[in-house]
Amino acid sequence: MSTITPSSTAAGPGPGDRPPPPRRRGRRAPSYGRSERRLAALLLSPSLVLIGLVAAYPIGYAIWLSLNEYSVRVPGLSRFAGLDNYEAAFAGGFWDALRNTLVFTVASVSLELIIGLAMAIAMHHAFRGRGLLRATVLVPWATITAVTAITWRSIFEPGVGFAPQLLAKVGIAEDVVWLGERGYAMSVLILADVWKTAPFMALLLLAGLQVIPEDVYEAARVDGATPWQRFTRITLPLLMPAILVALIFRTLDALRVFDLPAVLTDGSNGTNVLSLLAYQELTQNRLLGLGAALSVLTFAVVMIVSFLYIRFVGGNIRTLAKD
Amino acid sequence: MGSIRNAARVIGTVVIASLIAVGCGGDDDGGGGGSTPDADKVEVSDEAPEGEISVCMGKDTSGVHGPLLEKFNQENEGAEAALVELPESADEQRTQLVQRLRAKSEECDVLALDVIWTAEFAAQGWLADATDIVEEREGEFIASTLDTVRYDDKSWAVPFNSNAGFLFYRTDQVDEVPATWQETYDAAAEASGLVYQGSRYEGLTVHFLELLYARGGDVINEDGTEATADSEETRDVLQFMVDGIKDGAVPRATLTMKEEEARRAFENGSATFMRNWPYAYSLGQEAPRIRGKFEVAAFPSFGDDDAASILGGYNLAVSAFSDNPGGAAALINYLTAEDAQITYAEAATPSVLTDVYDDDAVKKSLPFAKTLLESIEQGRSRPVSPVYPQISDAISTNVYAALSGDATVDEAVTSMQADIDKALATF
Repeated sequence: MSTITPSSTAAGPGPGDRPPPPRRRGRRAPSYGRSERRLAALLLSPSLVLIGLVAAYPIGYAIWLSLNEYSVRVPGLSRFAGLDNYEAAFAGGFWDALRNTLVFTVASVSLELIIGLAMAIAMHHAFRGRGLLRATVLVPWATITAVTAITWRSIFEPGVGFAPQLLAKVGIAEDVVWLGERGYAMSVLILADVWKTAPFMALLLLAGLQVIPEDVYEAARVDGATPWQRFTRITLPLLMPAILVALIFRTLDALRVFDLPAVLTDGSNGTNVLSLLAYQELTQNRLLGLGAALSVLTFAVVMIVSFLYIRFVGGNIRTLAKD
Repeated sequence: MGSIRNAARVIGTVVIASLIAVGCGGDDDGGGGGSTPDADKVEVSDEAPEGEISVCMGKDTSGVHGPLLEKFNQENEGAEAALVELPESADEQRTQLVQRLRAKSEECDVLALDVIWTAEFAAQGWLADATDIVEEREGEFIASTLDTVRYDDKSWAVPFNSNAGFLFYRTDQVDEVPATWQETYDAAAEASGLVYQGSRYEGLTVHFLELLYARGGDVINEDGTEATADSEETRDVLQFMVDGIKDGAVPRATLTMKEEEARRAFENGSATFMRNWPYAYSLGQEAPRIRGKFEVAAFPSFGDDDAASILGGYNLAVSAFSDNPGGAAALINYLTAEDAQITYAEAATPSVLTDVYDDDAVKKSLPFAKTLLESIEQGRSRPVSPVYPQISDAISTNVYAALSGDATVDEAVTSMQADIDKALATF
């Protein structure tokens, strides 16, 4: 996501383009406005240059790479390939990986939202040991993702891990090799991600909960609202900005997921996601062009989703904030 | 809207720039066979090696490299050999080496290369021609290991250590070593099964090729220009493996196993047979449930056909960008000579020299030395091609699809053929 925010800023209208409000122009000398604008441009230029270097240039370079083929046989030989790499990507694993990525994103983010919300509400209520609960809840989030993945792999390892044995005892999924079968492998992947990031969701939502003034609830109680009504009519609407921010964060993160599937399944059994596919083509097969094309496509997917969010949901945040 | 206009401007610039570049782009002659750029030949002189010599190789897990280099430095005054440790995993080592070599870095003089990288690195012009070094000492090496350094009729590295798989079996569960894979599967079905490296990765490619080579098949033709995977042999072998999983000779859990998972299953006592590398032997002797209850054998034959194993291990090459090729060659000769090789063998790193396996100290530290030599001697190299990573990918992906039931044997073989052909046609 870090690559997107700055680039959309960079591509957005620069301060120099923006016409000053007409009324101002009428009242003040135009030369004053111009010099002010020049100063603004001057002050902004270092950060624009920086953004150009760390965001725009790599993106442009990746696009350039994706339009070329680089020989794996002859050193230094390359040729312009037009959209061949994209064609190869579409004919290859792209659609499959896109589907897996979307399934993973939708499932993991919705589960994280529900569980995170429940956790946040639990943490919000005053009771003994609240501090301890808040600290322990964050442990999974603090664990390094690769370690999380290795842990879950062991938990589901046939004959060794405890999860398949426990489940088989209660009659669920007997004789299933969890990481070795389509569907099951994806569910472990989602489970691991939810376990790891639901606390993060909870933390963001907890911050949102804490700014809801207590007197609103009191007024509702006086009016005889049930707890459920208080939740749906007060908590949820007032929490909406926090929920949306958390959703954006998590969705964009989930779209670029790499480490979990890389360690858990290495992309087998229907868990090959976009970034993993790009990595495989780029580093294992040394197909620079194809790998770059897949990266650009991944970038485009993330871009489209974040655009949709900002377009439709971002507007919501502003209206909500105004209310 | 501004952002879209700007984006369009960027894309426009890129397109124009790329159109200009078309004129400069080279054209491929489409040849699939071996061709290598003119490489400098490395010659070994009688003069004492001197100067800095850095060896880039994987993590020194055996702890032998360091002391050996020190000894080399003591024996050769003026030489400063030093170890540049790369990560432990082979894939990571390759990534790191490729990055350095792409940048024409002089950091590494000697490169430790997995046996499957030779063709790829040689084709890229990253290695110095080591034909002279190898020819001089040809008789010392186990013949099969020399195949792993050949590409385009030249030798590009010197065999450094070798490896070949074993069939591990429980002596308390089977009376004698099965003579064929078929008998192994039958015995496994009656007992607790056979486990191998069945995850979708290089390990599965290796095991599949072990069976395919034994059956007499191959995946590419001799000069590496065409796929030959769509054959009766491939179908036989793949059908055999698929049936093994269906009949329960091979537990389905094998599909998630790499070396370590298979070893754990075997050490747990939950498998009667295991295909694994020799390293699992000494670890198994420390595992309470199977200690003293298992033995190793070279692979059985496939039906009435041959037996085959796939060679693993590392070769040492001189980097084409080395500023001290003479010193590098001297160091390679030192590390692959009998003395050093015995030191390695005592630390359980299988040697590439035939004589080392007769050494008494080695026999003691590697109780399976005779079996190992046999296994390495029947060893074959994996397809020699600069696009080997893609070929391996094509094999493991399609074999896995058949084993997991995603594809029929017929579909998997057809698709393997197409994928390998596509890999061979890579620019």
